[in-house]
Parts: sequence; C-alpha cells; structure tokens
Amino acid sequence: MTPTALFAILRKEFRVEFRSRSGFFAASLFAVMAVFAISAASFNSKLPGNLASGLVWVSLLFGSVIAVPRRFIQEEELRTADLLRLAAHPNAVYWGKTLFAIVETVAYGTVVSVLFFLLTSAKLVDPGLYCLGVLGTSICMGSVISLCGAIASQSANRTALASAISLPLIVPIVFMGIACLRVSMGEGLIPGGWRSGYGLVGYGIASLAIGPYLFAAVWKR
Amino acid sequence: MLSAKNLGKRLGPRWLFRNLEFELGVGDALLITGPNGSGKSTLLRCLCGLEPVSEGSVTAGPIGIAAIDQAVYPDLTCQEHIDLMVDLRGTGDRKALELVNLSYAANLPAQKLSSGMRARLKLAMAVLHAPTVLLLDEPSATLDAPGIELVENLIADQLKRGCLVIATNDPNERRLANQEISLEV
Repeated sequence: MTPTALFAILRKEFRVEFRSRSGFFAASLFAVMAVFAISAASFNSKLPGNLASGLVWVSLLFGSVIAVPRRFIQEEELRTADLLRLAAHPNAVYWGKTLFAIVETVAYGTVVSVLFFLLTSAKLVDPGLYCLGVLGTSICMGSVISLCGAIASQSANRTALASAISLPLIVPIVFMGIACLRVSMGEGLIPGGWRSGYGLVGYGIASLAIGPYLFAAVWKR
Repeated sequence: MLSAKNLGKRLGPRWLFRNLEFELGVGDALLITGPNGSGKSTLLRCLCGLEPVSEGSVTAGPIGIAAIDQAVYPDLTCQEHIDLMVDLRGTGDRKALELVNLSYAANLPAQKLSSGMRARLKLAMAVLHAPTVLLLDEPSATLDAPGIELVENLIADQLKRGCLVIATNDPNERRLANQEISLEV
C-alpha cells in the first residue's frame, strides 16, 4: 500500500460524498431534527447531565449508523467495488475509507455538539473531557461501523447484517462514551471520566489495528 | 503471460465451464463465444480474480479489463476516474482519455455520459497501465463505427505488447483471434 493510493481513496470518498450528499448530509439532517426535538422537550427546564449525555450519545450513534456503513455497502450496490478490487491494495481501501469515516463522524459529532449546547440548557463542566469523549466515540464508531459495513457488504441482506454485527462491538463504546460525556457535564467523578475517555481511545486504536486483517480476509474474492 | 489449467466454475449444481486449458503469449488473442448465460463474462471475471474459480488455477501478468456490466462512479468525472486508477495502481498514463478520443469529456461526470462514451472510459481505464493481459467483454456492443475502429486500434497495440481475451458473439470480432473457446449452456 502506498500513501498515494490511500489518499486517492480518501479523495474519492470526499468527492463522492460532497457531490452525492448522501451520508453526512442525511446524518446532519438527523442531528438537527434530534437536537430540535430534545430542545423542544426540555424547553424551560434544566437538562440534567446524566440525561443530556445519553441524548448526545444517542444522536452520535444514530448519525454514525446512517452515514458510515454506506461507504462499503454503496460500493457493492453500485458494483464499483470491482474497480477497487482490480486496482487497489486492500489496506489502501480499508485505510482510505476508514479515515474518511472517522473524519465524517468527527465532523458529525461537532455538528451535534454545537447544536446541542446552543439549543438546550445542558451545562458543560469539563470541555476537554467532552472533546475527548466525542473524539474517542467518533474514532471507535468510524472504525467499528466501517468494518462491519465492509463485512456485511458481501452479503445479500447488507444493511440488516451490518446493524446486527455492529451491536456487540458498539456496547463497550456505549458504556465508555456515556460515562465520559456524563462526567464532562457535571455528573460523577472527574478521574473516572478521563479513564473512560482513554478507554475509548484505546478501543478505537485496537479496532483500527485489527481492522486491516479482517478487511483483507473479506475484501478479496 | 496468461495460462489457465484445468479451470472450472460451478454455480450450485451446474458447471458453467470445466477443464478449460489455454496458454497465451505475446500476440495471442483468445475468443470466447457462447450463448447468453453460458459463462463468458464469468470466465473473464475468473481470469482477473474478481470471481473465485471452483477448480483449477490461473496465472497472469498485469491485467486490464473492460466489461459491459462494469460500473463507474456516477459522481466522478472521466479524468477523475483515470487519476484514481493511476494513483491506485501506482503507474499509468494520466492522458489515457486521449487514447479513446474522450479528452473533450474529461470534466463530465460519468452519469452524464452516453453508453458509448462510458464504454470508451472503461477501455481507457483498462489500458492506462499498459497491461500485458487485456480482457474485453463485448467490447463493441455499445460503440459506433469510429468507436469500433478505436477498439481495433487498441487491440492491435495490445497484441504488440501482450495478449488479449475477448468474450463476444460479434462475428466481426472473430477475425481478431487466433484461438477460440466455445462455451455451452
């Protein structure tokens, strides 16, 4: 795999995304609707940190689930995956698409966070921890859901299978992500929140390290 | 350059083809004929590794393939397709659109191309890295007379540096080949 090949895939993903406006824009629309709904429901009342963290996290989860698995599934549905199989090393495809998925989920997490704190009464106590939580969650979701999308893209019932195999891998991210965000919003002990944040980053790195091996096994026919 | 030994492909209980053996060198052109559903396109996909074989083996040098059912990215322009393939392969001619007289459409997205223009784009993507083995599936199916002439020129160039496999039922393309395999349903 060469850096040129990796960046060629990454560049292609950005071009396709911004021209087709399918993944990120659909997810952002969901983010706007979700935050407006939370804002309307909590109008004139204080949103407690433990509830707010759960709501932010659910918005992050659903946005990622809408946007990320499509990267591989769409390639199979359009039958363009064969072009990549013929010309690209599997690692270039994996890293190009996964990096794009991480950038996409980080951008989406930023949109959700900005809207959330602008439109609701939720208070942020530790912005650094909150950023670590959103960043860690985005890295984990980008790598895990992207890999599940790649595995599921080979099957007939792609979307359902991607959701099903993502589920057990997402559970640890749920616990660590919510713990991290909850503490950053003033509920619980600060050291515990940071430990969860580091745990998220570690989980993300571990999934990124295993990803290329699993991907290479399912990608080549 | 391209050799197949005891090649077989099974779909469920049915063998699409079996015990195929051939060896192609520089200047050789293999014609694959047969009715619809006989496995012509599948054989090409097996030769380039896009489809696993059920038995036997294939040995080949660098391969380029242009197939009628091959997809392109609807939102990418012709030149972006060429650049993508060159970057992924690490080699190739970024001016490959000139080879297929498609330079004028370099900045058009693939979804705005006619079927003939799309066929030319696929041809350019197949030959940009000067493959030693070129696989063509119904190469002139959607092309006009100048397009067909262009394919014949590309084939002539290909036979100077390598070999060619064509899957077709077009009688005009039979004369290009010096070997033939006929598949049956």
